[in-house]
Amino acid sequence: MEIMRLVVTGPVGAGKSTFIRSVSEIEVVDTDRRATDDALLIKKRTTVAFDFGRLQFGPDMALHLYGTPGQSRFDFMWDILIQKAHAYILLVAAHRPHEFREARRIMTFMKQRSPAPMIIGLTHTDCSGAWDAANIALALGYPDPARRPPIVAVNANETASVAQAVISLVQFTWAGSLAPAT
Amino acid sequence: MAISTEKLTNILQSFVTSTTDIQGAAVVTPDGLPLAACLPGGMDEERVSAMSAAMLSLGDRIGSELARGGIDRIFVEGDKGYGILTSCGEDAVFLVLADKAAKQGLLMLEIKRTLADLKAVLM
Ligand SMILES: Nc1nc2c(ncn2[C@@H]2O[C@H](COP(=O)(O)OP(=O)(O)OP(=O)(O)O)[C@@H](O)[C@H]2O)c(=O)[nH]1
Ligand SMILES: [Mg+2]
Repeated sequence: MEIMRLVVTGPVGAGKSTFIRSVSEIEVVDTDRRATDDALLIKKRTTVAFDFGRLQFGPDMALHLYGTPGQSRFDFMWDILIQKAHAYILLVAAHRPHEFREARRIMTFMKQRSPAPMIIGLTHTDCSGAWDAANIALALGYPDPARRPPIVAVNANETASVAQAVISLVQFTWAGSLAPAT
Repeated sequence: MAISTEKLTNILQSFVTSTTDIQGAAVVTPDGLPLAACLPGGMDEERVSAMSAAMLSLGDRIGSELARGGIDRIFVEGDKGYGILTSCGEDAVFLVLADKAAKQGLLMLEIKRTLADLKAVLM
């Protein structure tokens, strides 16, 4: 059985833990603790180490899903988790533009440490004030639509939507491993 | 928050200065924020707090999933010294950094005593 390790990262409240809970076939290992800082403005609990879930993908492959904490004081966990990732998805809440800068910072952190393929997942696109993909891409530093990572919309609460995002990530990874490295 | 940072800091300071072979101590929230700290120079309070919380949360998971029960303590033994995490009620985690020369029995006793003092303030 081949194992592919996928990392789910992004700012606080983007939906990383929810994403993994939505598709995991095992009971998720979560390390959420009661929030006592600004995370409280968004929700009651926040991840302090990582989330772990598993998903069978076809007969010969198992996906191991690792969710990072969102808060930068846990960046040592970002480092630990990205080291072994085969691919990762950066989740960004489309309706919280003030967090795009933090999303970009996380992306830079990951890119400095790992060459693994990345796609961007936009959550909360159903919420009022959500930006569209083109503008978010711009805010994340991708002005040229022809030269940017795949961007998918995903509702972390919906299993089918999350499954679709996971498939996109796996396919993008396969496509990259067939093509010569650029 | 109603917690008295000053009182906590005083307890930590006297713990660190009065016990031989103790190099630092901190009290942090379970989500990794410092409540009070008395750490060796060069160690970042925020980072130490976040690491303590991450470690204790994983210890808790090991306790429950591998049927070890509630976790009282996590002990990290390096060739230069010890890092000991003790849960300090619902709302705090107590971290102690000790020198390799520390006597373990004595260390545990001191930690237990200080824990009681800290809990009294945190109540
Ligand atoms: N309406 C809506 N809500 C969403 C969507 N995606 C996620 N959420 C909600 O957003 C919240 C995300 O919470 P978590 O999954 O804990 O976020 P996280 O990214 O793990 O946060 P940290 O661990 O604190 O960094 C949950 O309440 C989800 O129900 C979406 O697409 N639409
Ligand atoms: Mg989380």
